[in-house]
Amino acid sequence: MSDAPAAAPAKQIGPIADWVNPAEMAIDPYPSYERLLVQSPVAWVPALNRYLVTGYAECHAIECDQETFTADVGGAGATMKRALGGHPMLRKDDPEHAIERASINPTMRPRMIASHWSEVFTRNAAEYLDELADRGPATAELNRDYASPVASQNLIDLLGLPDVSMETMRRWSHSMIAGIGNVHDDAEIWAESERSRKEIDELLVDLLPHLRSSPDESMTSALANSGMPDESVTANVKLTITGGVNEPQHMITSMVWALSAREDLLSRVRADTSLWPAVFDETARWQSPIGMYPRQTTCATVLGGVELPAGASIGVCVAAANRDARHFGGDPSVFDIDRERLPHLAFGSGVHLCAGQRVARASTGQIAVPMLFDRFPSLRVDPERETRWAGWVFRGITDLPVTWSEQEQQA
Amino acid sequence: MTSIVFHNPDGASTTLDVADGTTVMRAALGGSVTGIIGECGGQAMCATCHVLVRGDHVDRLPPVGEDEDEMLDCTAELRDPHRSRLGCQIVLSTELDGIEVDLPARQI
Repeated sequence: MSDAPAAAPAKQIGPIADWVNPAEMAIDPYPSYERLLVQSPVAWVPALNRYLVTGYAECHAIECDQETFTADVGGAGATMKRALGGHPMLRKDDPEHAIERASINPTMRPRMIASHWSEVFTRNAAEYLDELADRGPATAELNRDYASPVASQNLIDLLGLPDVSMETMRRWSHSMIAGIGNVHDDAEIWAESERSRKEIDELLVDLLPHLRSSPDESMTSALANSGMPDESVTANVKLTITGGVNEPQHMITSMVWALSAREDLLSRVRADTSLWPAVFDETARWQSPIGMYPRQTTCATVLGGVELPAGASIGVCVAAANRDARHFGGDPSVFDIDRERLPHLAFGSGVHLCAGQRVARASTGQIAVPMLFDRFPSLRVDPERETRWAGWVFRGITDLPVTWSEQEQQA
Repeated sequence: MTSIVFHNPDGASTTLDVADGTTVMRAALGGSVTGIIGECGGQAMCATCHVLVRGDHVDRLPPVGEDEDEMLDCTAELRDPHRSRLGCQIVLSTELDGIEVDLPARQI
């Protein structure tokens, strides 16, 4: 942890990063993160009209102190409230947050995953492996043909939404994510986002009373029977739809992309399946699907030696913190499943730690990706076609062309 | 105030005096004790505040709850059937004064 240079004192350089360009970040944020980490892990970024916090210790300190750093953000960060038509738990602090959070935790505890969800996730992966095989090794695109359908169907089942197609779930999720990210107030983006919001609200009008009389294992049932008002239930279902598709989808493609370029590691993991969790965690650290999320100061404070005023908008850049050499040591830009096991912030930390963390570990890291390589051991990224990445607030692979041997295709 | 001693696997120890009502996990994080992560902020959802309680203090604790029991099966270092607890589920109070806990070598 000591072999990286300490961050320069803010007084000398001044924590204003006027060179940060959001358009460049959307293509690849990591060069900007590296520079921010060296120059000032807490910096005012004029182009984003907020502070970006990139240091691991500073991001972690924010997550440990919800009295100073509230999740109930205003301004540009308030797009989530508009997109979801309500105030989900992710934008509340304790004690209000804790009540809502406690209602859904039992759905996603380890024994529930083992006894109920693993079978569902396995069935969904098997179904879309067949579709991937039908597509064939010449034109298969892993995001479109496997990662996105599997993640969408898993979430339909986890939420227990009847008669919702995989395509509908995908559209809902994407349009509301676009709404949450719609800081420039694009009218078309709001229209699509609001269409999805209304469709979900209409579905829940009938579903919630039904789940109150006939509860099931689903998260919607847990929310419906928690005693919280319908408005909070529906906001949290929509929160789950926005947060429960892209991230597992990106974990599937990123893991495959990382392993495809590392033949020795892939052979090792296939021979020793106890290594899958390390592959999952290292991928989540190295290519964090959620790059940044907002917080706001409730009072004047000092973070990482930088004075912040009350009401300051903050972007907590966990993707950057996950490559902070002051925490991870060595070269954190290197993908290495054998590095010292240290906590990372890909799922956040503290009371807002991703509720679906264990579900994601099981559904993608233990099921979807291992099953993919079991079915097609020769599956690799196709170098003849272009792989595309996008985004920094949410980041992942948008196109992952893959191919495999004709022999496995015939089998 | 309640006194608590954290013993690290390397033999080092830290003694803290904390306000009653503080959990063992919060006491460790507030006192910069290494070896406790407390990733989920105290919801019994992560098993990264695993401690092994020394001596007869373990019998003075309330019984292991269902959620805690489930998470203790997920600890990085194997659970001790008698001494293992989650630090976030132990609320410190005068009757626990002088409690000593061993920290496992790994939390993740």
